[in-house]
Amino acid sequence: MITILSDDTTQNVGQKLYDRFCEKGVKAEYISIADVNVEPCYSCGGCTDKTFGKCVVRDDADWIFPRLIRSDVMLLVTPVKWGAYSFKTKRVFDKCAVIGNRYYHVKKGELVKGMMGNNCKLYAVGVKDHCSVGEKEVFKELVAENINIMDIQGNSYVVDYDIDDNLTTKMVEEMSL
Amino acid sequence: MKRTVIINLSPRKKGTSVMLSNLCRDFLYERGHQSEIIDLYQNLKNMMVILDGIEESDTIIMVGPSYIDSFPADTVYLLDQMTENQEILHGQKLYGIIQGGMPYVHTHESGLKMLEIFSTESNIIYKGGFVIGLGPVINGTSLNKLPNAKKIKKNFNLFLNHIENGEISPAQLYYDSQLKMPGIVYCYLAKVMNKRIKKELVQKGIDYSQRSPYLSRSDK
Repeated sequence: MITILSDDTTQNVGQKLYDRFCEKGVKAEYISIADVNVEPCYSCGGCTDKTFGKCVVRDDADWIFPRLIRSDVMLLVTPVKWGAYSFKTKRVFDKCAVIGNRYYHVKKGELVKGMMGNNCKLYAVGVKDHCSVGEKEVFKELVAENINIMDIQGNSYVVDYDIDDNLTTKMVEEMSL
Repeated sequence: MKRTVIINLSPRKKGTSVMLSNLCRDFLYERGHQSEIIDLYQNLKNMMVILDGIEESDTIIMVGPSYIDSFPADTVYLLDQMTENQEILHGQKLYGIIQGGMPYVHTHESGLKMLEIFSTESNIIYKGGFVIGLGPVINGTSLNKLPNAKKIKKNFNLFLNHIENGEISPAQLYYDSQLKMPGIVYCYLAKVMNKRIKKELVQKGIDYSQRSPYLSRSDK
């Protein structure tokens, strides 16, 4: 299962990818986070002390995380904001530690954590027209760090709002593997 | 008199970001700067407090924790608000400080790069930042408790000197402060930390082997 978490406030690349997955017969789920309410992570420690493994705040993360934790591929589709994720995307992503492994291990000589559930791949598609080479690099570095710390596989792309058909096909094929 | 606004990007009222904010404020105050700390998360419902503080300042210091390799989400909201209110930006100098659990600079540096790119699109001048690993370990107490305290304190002080003088602070300062240990030590560290995590959970009466509540049927 591929779960697409898309901040489609200003872009429809996530929807296009979802349509292409469906055409290809790949099991995919589309979550629009344009209008969801996910409160900030307050680093309160409640997900350890009070409701072990679950955020103490009741919001839309309650139905988003059960989907994310069961997916094989988490696909973030987000407007690129200064080489990083959009506010709405980051609100959800900040809380992903709650579906992450709380224990450490060493990979390539460095401490990392991991993920719980099926999740074994993270892809991120940043959407921005005329994105500079430098900003693309920063976005890709951020995603590479996420992939590293979560100790999973994945990749990232930065694409225009009017995404090229061939690129869509290439991305869908890569993510469907 | 130079005016500096220090924006605490952490949702926590006490902690390492607040401690670092206090260090910045005290350092600059002793050198004749007028400086104040404003909490982002305490002012989310009234961003004018922060935007006014930014408008009235010559220097902005953003201090926050690293949440999955960058500043917390609402930092992006703050930058969105600054973009929508461009009139408050008049060439202020911008510095960033990010601190996170992992001891490596590369884990957290994306937060500073975000500020740098933001400055290229706004009337604001990015002057550099500082990265501190193992931030949550000291939990707001003192930099002295870090295993690399000597290097961190020396270079953080140099960083603050750069802020005082409105100079560019090179990334080399925080790279030179980084804790460097062989992989075998990290293996040992991981074992010790995991044992401690499990011990604390047991002491709290928590079954650490239980499945995630998000995998239960009611959460489908």
